[in-house]
Amino acid sequence: MEFLKSGIKTVLGGTEPGQQPSAAETVEKLVDRVYSSTLLEDRRDACRALKALSRKYRIEVGAQGMPPLVQVLQNDGQDAEIISYALDTLCNIVTSEEFDEEADNPAVSVNVGEQFTEMFIKNPDHVTLVMGYLDEYDFRVRRGAIQLITSLIANKTRELQELVLVSPMGVSKLMDLLTDSREVIRNDVLLLLIELTKGNSNIQKIVAFENAFDRLFDIVREEGCSDGGIVVEDCLILLLNLLKNNSSNQQFFKEGSYIQRLAPMFLLNSSNGSSDADESAWTPQKVSNFHCMLQVVRALVTPSNQQQVVSACQRVMQKSQLLQALCDILMSSGVPADILTETINTVAEVVRGDRDNQDELSRVQAPSQPPRPAIVVLLMSMINEKQLLALRCAVLYCFECYLYRNSDGQRAVVQTLLPSSATDVSSLSTGQLLCTGLFSTDTLANWFAAVALMHTLVENVAQKEELLRVLLATPGGQRPITLLEQCTSLMQQERYRLQSKVGLLMLLSVWLAHCPGAVKALLETQGTMAYLTAQLCANEHDEREYLVQGMCAFLMGLCIQFNDNSLANQRREDISQLIIKRIGQETFCNKLSEVSRHEAYSRACKQAQIRAKGASELLLDYEYCKLYKGLEALIAKLVSGFDVDGIELTELTLSSEASALVAQYKGIIRGMDAQIQTLEQSTKQLEQENIELKDQLSHEQSLRAQLADQNTLLKAQLAAQPTAAAAPAPAATPTTTPITTATAEQQTTETVNDEQLNAARYQANMYFAENIRLTKELETLRQQLTAEKQRADAAQESLLATQKDQEDLLELLADQEAKLARYESPTNAVNDTNGR
Amino acid sequence: MSYAYLFKYIIIGDTGVGKSCLLLQFTDKRFQPVHDLTIGVEFGARMITIDGKQIKLQIWDTAGQEAFRSITRSYYRGAAGALLVYDITRRETFNHLTTWLEDARQHSNSNMVIMLIGNKSDLDSRREVKKEEGEAFAREHGLVFMETSARTAANVEEAFINTAKEIYEKIQEGVFDINNEANGIKIGQQATPTNPALPGAGGAGGAVNSGCC
Repeated sequence: MEFLKSGIKTVLGGTEPGQQPSAAETVEKLVDRVYSSTLLEDRRDACRALKALSRKYRIEVGAQGMPPLVQVLQNDGQDAEIISYALDTLCNIVTSEEFDEEADNPAVSVNVGEQFTEMFIKNPDHVTLVMGYLDEYDFRVRRGAIQLITSLIANKTRELQELVLVSPMGVSKLMDLLTDSREVIRNDVLLLLIELTKGNSNIQKIVAFENAFDRLFDIVREEGCSDGGIVVEDCLILLLNLLKNNSSNQQFFKEGSYIQRLAPMFLLNSSNGSSDADESAWTPQKVSNFHCMLQVVRALVTPSNQQQVVSACQRVMQKSQLLQALCDILMSSGVPADILTETINTVAEVVRGDRDNQDELSRVQAPSQPPRPAIVVLLMSMINEKQLLALRCAVLYCFECYLYRNSDGQRAVVQTLLPSSATDVSSLSTGQLLCTGLFSTDTLANWFAAVALMHTLVENVAQKEELLRVLLATPGGQRPITLLEQCTSLMQQERYRLQSKVGLLMLLSVWLAHCPGAVKALLETQGTMAYLTAQLCANEHDEREYLVQGMCAFLMGLCIQFNDNSLANQRREDISQLIIKRIGQETFCNKLSEVSRHEAYSRACKQAQIRAKGASELLLDYEYCKLYKGLEALIAKLVSGFDVDGIELTELTLSSEASALVAQYKGIIRGMDAQIQTLEQSTKQLEQENIELKDQLSHEQSLRAQLADQNTLLKAQLAAQPTAAAAPAPAATPTTTPITTATAEQQTTETVNDEQLNAARYQANMYFAENIRLTKELETLRQQLTAEKQRADAAQESLLATQKDQEDLLELLADQEAKLARYESPTNAVNDTNGR
Repeated sequence: MSYAYLFKYIIIGDTGVGKSCLLLQFTDKRFQPVHDLTIGVEFGARMITIDGKQIKLQIWDTAGQEAFRSITRSYYRGAAGALLVYDITRRETFNHLTTWLEDARQHSNSNMVIMLIGNKSDLDSRREVKKEEGEAFAREHGLVFMETSARTAANVEEAFINTAKEIYEKIQEGVFDINNEANGIKIGQQATPTNPALPGAGGAGGAVNSGCC
């Protein structure tokens, strides 16, 4: 450089040594020569000199040199060398990078490159001119043009993007350069495209349309996938740019089967290498590459994407075994902590809300002794205070995503806490781990466990009720206490720190919301209401205490909103009275709004993922904020609607009151429904019995008829026998000779007859008795039947009555709703009452 | 989801002629009477069968508004087929066809198959452009012509499939250079003798795997 400068000095004639203005003068002379020299060689030399000066005297060269350099670009297109000097010089001028040579120059401000960029692009033709040199095959020219455009985009992204879009086939031309056989050009174009695609979905779509996905995957493969160099990382960053927040490209990516090309890149070939070989394989570059690959996956399934794209991608990720590969990474050894953390976050989003993927995750077993479910192993690290904060946050996020819209998963976790479940005591369960965390001395573990447990209850009333049954053994061998009792007593302990309390308050709030049983249980605990009241009355505290107070107010509000009035002294009115007399409605509403005013609230609302730079930032959770957002206004209205005598003040508040009423009615209707169902069942049963009895009856009747027949038959026989017995007598009279024998005979026949008669009589008697018995039986059966019929009628009647009741109630409900609608419309009348 | 060929389509034409509805009817088999203006370009895809071969159609639905014209132009070059759509109930959309065609011919590769579509054929009572006029325009400029209704789905399948058939025939005749992906045509794994019954990862993933690890 020094040599060059001295050379320039000799060419241009020396200036006074040590004088600062010499730079400006030199530049002026050079500019002059670029303008006026007729010989190409002279102009070329001057350009070369300008290029050399542009690094140290950027301001001077930029201020004076831009027009002559543009002129060169316009006129000297046939000479590659001078064009490359001009392009390089311009690039030096506009770059945002600070050169070593100008480090001690105070005149160079930070954004000097940006200012020169602005000057250069003021005329859009300049950009078109430079774009034109992309077609030039000469290495120096093409590279110079690419680098200049890259610098321009980096400084003025939006403007350049617009200019490239309107330049005919601008994006397509840039994409063509990706196939340049010279790697340097290709790599520079990658950098250019990364800048160009930032935050412009139209350019992103055109780049994707021009086969970018194919190109990029080809390059990544050529460069060795995740083991490749920085070019792989560049490709992945570009890929990420194309997919982030661009649903059209996400869909194209999925439809083009590119997820299937992504999946094998996640396979760790650990099966053939030993474990220490693995560790050495994680070079810093590989870590960066892997990080980008994970980001690409997350760009496709992040919860803020279109739901339909997310679930389509999740399905493909399962089928292409990408999820499997990610889970393998989770369970393999030697993976760097930051990759592990990001993998957990990625697995979280791949399974979120997709039952198949959630099930797959739950089936993953860790290769430990004894083998444990991966989820258990993950939770173990979550409550382990020696683990990195980011990792613990990732595990919580993963657990939340696993439970998201997964009622079976939620139930499975809660089940492990119930006494009835016959789980192996020796093996650790998810529920046990969460309790361990909840009662640990590590504040963060308390918070993590509380939030995790809270997610087993989100939108799942059944589990809220199940969790009420959880009992904990007490050390003193006293009666076991419920989990809810334990939570409330922990909350009141001084040693339990603020962050832990925030966690518990979130758990309790989600627990109580929409679950009157839990509200009742909380109201029955010792001192909880007093504690909450005390918190709300307290005044002088710092910002974080305010948050806790707000959360206490919210919890108290839930105790009113979801109170089924089943406890005599803790009805809705009673708690409202407590608030009015001890805290004051205004104060209560103020405190309630503390939650949404806290910075942790806006931070947590932003996304489902838990992000925290420091442990102290972990306060509120996304789902809690969602619940709070939905109920805050309702509770505020509800509380301010009671007056001092416990009568609801205005009609306006009826809306909130009515909503509770509606909930109450819903409960009643649900009960009626159950009642109707049981009644219907009993009717059915009675009908069945009725049919059986009728069957029996007809059977008996036929039997009776049969018997009657037999009876008449026997009677007939009986009637016939005396005549038969009498008949031989007259016949015997004429034959007197054998009289003795005849009489003897007759006697014998008579005795036989008598015997027969007796037998028949006996039989007839028997039949008669039988007949009477059967008739009697018939009678009782008939009686029974009528009784059953009466019972069936009664059941029918009560059924009708309940149905009518229900109709009435529904009518009442509709009435209430109509009222609700009416009251909500702002009318003067309401305003008046409100004013009062 | 393996295929023998992949064709890239674009749908062009004035704003409000029903381009997005045609795409929605073709990919999702449903009609959405109220549709927002397309911003820039939207993507859709579907598999069809021609001559016993699985062909994947990737379709880019462009915005008709003038403001997006320069963006739309970027899509001509890489497309193998274009559906040029007008609205039979609005004469001006028919009058603009020449401009669209010039634009397309200028920026696309010369082999791009263009299908002329008169959409909204269900609204015959409000018709402003006769079917014969459409036929005449198509004949004059060497296009295939069809009237469709995205509402009733009449001819929608046919429009997309006939365009694909035309492209397919051109490939058979050797007109298209199928190895140049810039033409909007890609050969899939199915065209080469691999087992199409393999699951997704087996087909595409297997090949990639052996190359990179």
